[in-house]
Amino acid sequence: MIFAAPWVLLALPVLPLLWWLLRVTPPSPRREIFPAVRMLMGLTATAETPARTPWWLLLLRMIAAGLVIVGLARPVLDAGGSLPGSGPLLLVVDDGWAAAVDWSRRMTAAEAALARAEREGRRVGLLATAPDETAAAPAATPAMPVSEARTRLAALRPKPWPVDRVAAAAAAREWAGRGGVLYLADGTTGGSGWDDFATALAAVGPVEVVRDAVAPARLLLAPRAEADRLVARVAQVPRGLPAEATVLAQTGDGRTLARALASFAPNAAEAEAPIVLPPELRNRLGRLVLEGQSSAGAVVLLDERWRRRPVGLLAGEPTTASTPLTGELYYLQRALAPTAEIRQGTLAQLLARELSVLILTDYVADGPDADALAKWVEHGGLLVRFAGPRLAEHPDTLLPVKLMAGDRQLGGAMSWSQPAGLAAFAANSPFAGLTVPDEVKVTQQVLAEPGAHLTDATWARLADGTPLVTQAPRGAGRIVLFHVTANADWSDLPLSGLFVTILRRLVDLSVGVATDEAADSPPLAPAETLDGFGQLASPPPAAAAIPVRELADAVVSPRHPPGLYGPENGRRALNLSNRMPLPVAAPAIPGAREAPIGGVAPERALAPWLIALALALLVIDLLVSLRLRGLLRAATIALALFVIAPAVWAQEPQEPNPALATRLAYIVTGDAQADEVSRSGLAGLSEYVNQRTAANLAAPAAVVPGQDDLSFYPLLYWPITGDAGTPPGAAVAALNAYMDNGGIILIDTGDGGSGEGFNPGADAALERVTHGLTVPPLAPLTSAHVLAHAFYLLQDFPGRFTGDTVWVQRDQDRSNDSVSPVIIGSHDWAAAWAVEASGRPAYAVIPGGDRQRTLAYRFGVNLVMYALTGNYKGDQVHVPALLERLGQ
Amino acid sequence: MSGAAPAARRAEALADRLPPLLVAAERVAATVAQGVHGRRRVGQGDSFWQFRPFLAGDAASRIDWRQSARSDRAYIRETEWEAAQTVVLWRDGAPGMQWRSRQATTTKIERAGLLTLALAALLLRGGERVSLLASTSRTAFGRVGLERLAAELERLPEGDGLPPEVKLPRHARVVLIGDLLSPLAAIQAAVGRLAAVPVGGHLVQVLDPAEALLPYSGRVRFEGVRHGLQTLIPRVEGIRDAYAKRLAAQQAGLAAICAAAGFGFSIHRTDNPPEAALLALYTALAPQAGVRAAGGR
Repeated sequence: MIFAAPWVLLALPVLPLLWWLLRVTPPSPRREIFPAVRMLMGLTATAETPARTPWWLLLLRMIAAGLVIVGLARPVLDAGGSLPGSGPLLLVVDDGWAAAVDWSRRMTAAEAALARAEREGRRVGLLATAPDETAAAPAATPAMPVSEARTRLAALRPKPWPVDRVAAAAAAREWAGRGGVLYLADGTTGGSGWDDFATALAAVGPVEVVRDAVAPARLLLAPRAEADRLVARVAQVPRGLPAEATVLAQTGDGRTLARALASFAPNAAEAEAPIVLPPELRNRLGRLVLEGQSSAGAVVLLDERWRRRPVGLLAGEPTTASTPLTGELYYLQRALAPTAEIRQGTLAQLLARELSVLILTDYVADGPDADALAKWVEHGGLLVRFAGPRLAEHPDTLLPVKLMAGDRQLGGAMSWSQPAGLAAFAANSPFAGLTVPDEVKVTQQVLAEPGAHLTDATWARLADGTPLVTQAPRGAGRIVLFHVTANADWSDLPLSGLFVTILRRLVDLSVGVATDEAADSPPLAPAETLDGFGQLASPPPAAAAIPVRELADAVVSPRHPPGLYGPENGRRALNLSNRMPLPVAAPAIPGAREAPIGGVAPERALAPWLIALALALLVIDLLVSLRLRGLLRAATIALALFVIAPAVWAQEPQEPNPALATRLAYIVTGDAQADEVSRSGLAGLSEYVNQRTAANLAAPAAVVPGQDDLSFYPLLYWPITGDAGTPPGAAVAALNAYMDNGGIILIDTGDGGSGEGFNPGADAALERVTHGLTVPPLAPLTSAHVLAHAFYLLQDFPGRFTGDTVWVQRDQDRSNDSVSPVIIGSHDWAAAWAVEASGRPAYAVIPGGDRQRTLAYRFGVNLVMYALTGNYKGDQVHVPALLERLGQ
Repeated sequence: MSGAAPAARRAEALADRLPPLLVAAERVAATVAQGVHGRRRVGQGDSFWQFRPFLAGDAASRIDWRQSARSDRAYIRETEWEAAQTVVLWRDGAPGMQWRSRQATTTKIERAGLLTLALAALLLRGGERVSLLASTSRTAFGRVGLERLAAELERLPEGDGLPPEVKLPRHARVVLIGDLLSPLAAIQAAVGRLAAVPVGGHLVQVLDPAEALLPYSGRVRFEGVRHGLQTLIPRVEGIRDAYAKRLAAQQAGLAAICAAAGFGFSIHRTDNPPEAALLALYTALAPQAGVRAAGGR
């Protein structure tokens, strides 16, 4: 603590004098009018009253006076040490992308430094090490008064591009030998030129570096596309402890589709987080975001490359290829058309444009065609081939395995063997997890030559182990061979639904391509760019259009800030991590003093508090003095206290009585994220119900069966997480009693439509958790059920997903008002109901659309009405019949 | 202070609870005018008192011939002596009277004025003549007289706590109402002067409860109401007993002065109801019960 005006403290020795003065002056007596004063003249008291001020009152006054003196001396708490050097101070601030994460702390530290400089009477120069928005190189300001520097500092914002150490070093050199340096570092070298920069700073004068021991900023790298997943990559300055980072997959409008966890091993610079998304969702991905880090480096914008996958089709016999039911391309076209862009033409035409996948059916490539194809595959193309009579006769070089000449026939008049079915897919196959239908039979195929690598190369095989689908990577691409034809001649595979799924998975394996533009297409103008905090905004003034060809190799700079470029129908993303080296920890500057950023507590001026305290003491003194003179009665003070006190005591304990309001409840799963989804979902539903119906629901409650009394809640929402264990006996007993007494439990496995992708293991978990529950016989929920017309008339009951069956009690139990005690579904309703604090829906619905969300809410309203009114609406159904009967 | 008419009305209301007051007077004041009620003895008046036989020396004109004609003797008709007593009232108007403590609800001067007017109302209803002890006062009688007295009371000068020197009719009755906190010698002089007229009378000391009890504590500077008299008492609790003794001595002195002059003396505190004081005055001024019963009008 220091004093800004220490000379005021010289007044402190006057206090004893004040003490003496106050002591010798007795308190002034009370004044009373008294007509019989003549009778009092000359009367002497039997005992003498103390004619001096009571000591405690004196002490009170002395303390008040002392506080005023100390307060006027303007003490400042946490003022920190002295600034480095003497003379003007150069404040160097890293304002590149890496500084954005803890920008407010940096600004606090910088302001504290300015306050210190102001007290020491030093002038300050400011040097921001990143180029500014107008692409001007970093330059140091001349030394100026602190007030001016403060406004300059306040205008400083983190930039979405890296710092420029070389230019900053040049700027710092202008200050060589002039004073001290306070350097607010982001902890990374920030590209080349660090040593030069450090030397330049040390040349200015004594250096104090304010930084954290470990740079907190992380960099989200471009993700890697794999067969059924997107692998997000996170980079950081290596640190000694393991760490975790959460990557959010978001739509373009900021709604979260999925989240994934990346775990850094100790001293690892990079970590990966696989993001598993159903194909429908993957096309809606707009960006990846590092949770909790608001900087341009924590955002990767995804453009069309991650979605568009044009598929080229080429048949060996083009004339009959598209003939319905028999043509080679007929089934392929029908399987791929809904999800992919299909192109047809000659091989040269197809390869002239960007292609993700090329499917050849019974096509023998030779000569220049084979060379062109090989080149295309090696550059990352996915070549899918189907066998056929021609290929069986003339195997070419573009095959994953060596084929035996001729084909193999199974079943038929001359064969002992029966047509073979498919074996289950191996775990390393991209088709793993797909169910194999029994009706698929293969009657004819080409055979691969046996070899050591054949097992690894096989993605699908027949029941007898013969390879059916083989593959081999080649260059950056891959060749996949189906050992059957693409029509129904050799197998039933093209007739089955499995064919469609297999093809889609294959297409998802491929690398996406950008909008195919000719080399001479116009440069891409910046449309929306990220600011330093990772928010999309309009481009800064210096942002310039970028030629298409240069985009892939472009380095982010003020001229090309990260963001979206190009026309609206063909946006291309330029990300900060593009062509940027991984962040490297900056070595210490020789001879510099180091201080942590967080350690610089903000200065706090104590003077106002001290003066206020002194004033309060003086008010007390005034009251006491008035009381001593009899001008203020104790009753008045008591009255004043009585008036003030209730305001203090009026705060009731915040323990809501659950019986006072109707509210929905959810069962706590222990998974914080799932519980938060449940809470916000039920809150959103309660809001919706309150707006649209006469029901008035309070905020939802979290309950633990067996611990909390469940009898207050009409409806329990129970999300089943994949790792849920068997509930304890007390919980099971409580839930059974709850169901017996008319309660409704909505059990939600949350995996509908996503093939367990979102909630793996939910079905097994459902089996575990409901083991002890007395679940009645169930039947699918139909539109005839009361639940389908308790408030709205509903045909289906979507949540975040749709299409799965919802199960309710099969038999009508009159004793329980025919209300189903349990409703089991997998539509993840809470996620569909959930709203963010801003009022927007928190999670995208799948497949999507406002209609689905509205229907999800309507199902929720029906559910609440069903829980509150029982089968009331069921009775209503009979009203016309009753009226008719009455009429007769 | 409130206006004359309301003060008169309040006094009337207070006096309503007592019968009209007929002042007991052994010797009626010489200047008394003819009153409306008899003195239960023969004298000048209109009312018939008695017939008595004609005695030698009686004037022949006094013979009641009608009565005499009924018998052989001559009778003289005698009338009752009808005369009104004059009562002079004084209310202390000193500044010290215009004060009340926190324990009292009314100032001493209000209470004294109320007593004065209530007494006057009683007297006037009894047919007596009432005047205020002031050089400007005119004798009042009848109902209208009360209003006039109230108005006069309003206009009285403040005074110095002692009755002024005014020429009084002999044998009148005097009622002095005040706090009577002046030095005993001064009071004795004033009372002696009255007794020498001669007049009979009654003194009422009106005190505030605070004056009677001195309910203060701590360090207090006491000041007089108007004059600059003041004293600083460091600790009031310590002198409370001494003050009570002094007050008792004052009251004992007053009683002694009154007894010597043949006056009555009573004490009234403003936190007591005025009815009590009025009743005390009534009994002090009214004739003895035996005398009154013998009247029988």
